[in-house]
Amino acid sequence: MLELHSFHRIWCLAKFELVRMFLTKRGGIAIAAFSTAWFLILYYAISTADVLVSSDIFVTVAHQIISAAGMSELLSWPVPELSVFWVMAVYSFPIFSLVAASDQTCADRSRGTLRFIALRATRAEILVGRFLGQALILAVLIACTLIATLLMASYRDVSLFFVGLIKSIDLFQSILIAVMPFIALMAFLNSFIRSARLAIIVSFLFFGIIPLVIAFVEYKLGFNTFLTYLIPGVQLSDVINQKNVFLSSYVIPLAQACGYLLIGNVVMKRSAL
Amino acid sequence: MSTLIEVSGLNKFFGDKQALNNVDFEIEKGAPVALVGPNGAGKTTLFSVLCGYIQPSAGQVKIFNANPGSKATFGRLAALPQDAQLDPRFSIAHQLSFYGQLQGFDKKKSKSEVERTLDLVGLSDTLNEKPDALSHGMRKRVTIAQALMGTPDIVMLDEATAGLDPLHAREIRQLVASLSSDITFILSSHDLNELERLCQQVLYLDKGVLQRHKTLANDIDHSYLTLRMEKQEEGLIEGLKSIEQVIDVVNSQDREYLISVQQNIDNMPLDIQILQMCHQRQWSYRQLINGKTLENQLF
Repeated sequence: MLELHSFHRIWCLAKFELVRMFLTKRGGIAIAAFSTAWFLILYYAISTADVLVSSDIFVTVAHQIISAAGMSELLSWPVPELSVFWVMAVYSFPIFSLVAASDQTCADRSRGTLRFIALRATRAEILVGRFLGQALILAVLIACTLIATLLMASYRDVSLFFVGLIKSIDLFQSILIAVMPFIALMAFLNSFIRSARLAIIVSFLFFGIIPLVIAFVEYKLGFNTFLTYLIPGVQLSDVINQKNVFLSSYVIPLAQACGYLLIGNVVMKRSAL
Repeated sequence: MSTLIEVSGLNKFFGDKQALNNVDFEIEKGAPVALVGPNGAGKTTLFSVLCGYIQPSAGQVKIFNANPGSKATFGRLAALPQDAQLDPRFSIAHQLSFYGQLQGFDKKKSKSEVERTLDLVGLSDTLNEKPDALSHGMRKRVTIAQALMGTPDIVMLDEATAGLDPLHAREIRQLVASLSSDITFILSSHDLNELERLCQQVLYLDKGVLQRHKTLANDIDHSYLTLRMEKQEEGLIEGLKSIEQVIDVVNSQDREYLISVQQNIDNMPLDIQILQMCHQRQWSYRQLINGKTLENQLF
């Protein structure tokens, strides 16, 4: 019974995040900025994907460039719009998620609003509820961009709809799982940082400095420490190449997300509200 | 009587500074409890520990026999934390309804609870306002409303009437008094008159140490009377001292006199004698109180 109440509270907290993003002025501005960026991507990159991918010059150049990066597989996808979408989305959504999920608890903490909530939900429920809310927001946004891409491809050639739909579901799942460790990292940073702006800055420092530290440690030790697996997105090049799919698309990101949420929970439990 | 809160050996350090020092007390279900002390005495720290906002450095705190901040306290312990504010982006109704849903109410019940509690604090017409559209005092009353949602057993109000105009402060006091048969209130305030009127138990903290934990009800010290005058009267102290039962008179503060009384003297009751003297000399008095005021007891 208690567990059911926990799920109820987590779901309430997650729903509140959806309202915060989609029904408030500040959330609306963020959505407008996101929509503008994706409109440009759709209009200039994805709408011309079939022309680009089918042109001899592009194929030659792309083979030289993309093959070098191990992405030649993408050129053979039946829906070229989805190929371009995939390349754009796999990197842009994680970066966007860092910004979108930067304020999971810090504004509420500094304002004191979290104290009202903490009398009605455990800190673990607050952490997971907010994480789930952000994941749902990202899921909605990923779905919208995928639907737009699919509609563009279908408008060009209606026979691509079903094959594109099946591929879209696969891509949706992969991108959503790929962004989870980024949201969880921000949940962790929010457990002790009191400003969203500072959380973004710390996350950028994290991605800039931690790889250098790991490289230095491994250089000194002389062997692979596997510490790079602590960095969200470390597997993204494998994800984009669709290599080691089970490990890169599921195990690593989900393990990272769980890890950051667990550490965030420990820190949050000990932190003052 | 059931014990609601048990605190033993509670210590809280912030770095080198000790905010709470070996605090022990129990609070049972019943009349409101006052938490008193000077600035920096540790009142808000104690509130925060009881609400589960901060962890104690040492000692044990049990609320309903569970740890503060645990699921067992949800819906049963409510609080108005000092300086906590609502989210400015959402309407009052939306936020309070969200809190109601977290407490386990469905949407309909949450809505009715929001309406009921806002009505209690006299703000039923602010349902759809955002917090920034309200004055400081109104925002405070809204946060008091959130503490009254559902059927809490304990409501902790930290400086509930600070910043409220006298009329609304009085309404909040009346509200506390009217609900105190069902809810055990714990009130922190610097207004000792307010606490004296509302509370029957006092926790007095100073420098993190619980100096006194006393019950005011049925605990009037008959060896004292407190006389408050309209204005300073010449010859008042001498006049009072001339009465046989009076041992000593101290001008405890401006126009207030603490009278030490010798009991068991078979004479006209002292309060009657004092009133007669005031009447004869045409001195206007404001109040004559049996015992010491809370302020005089504590300081």
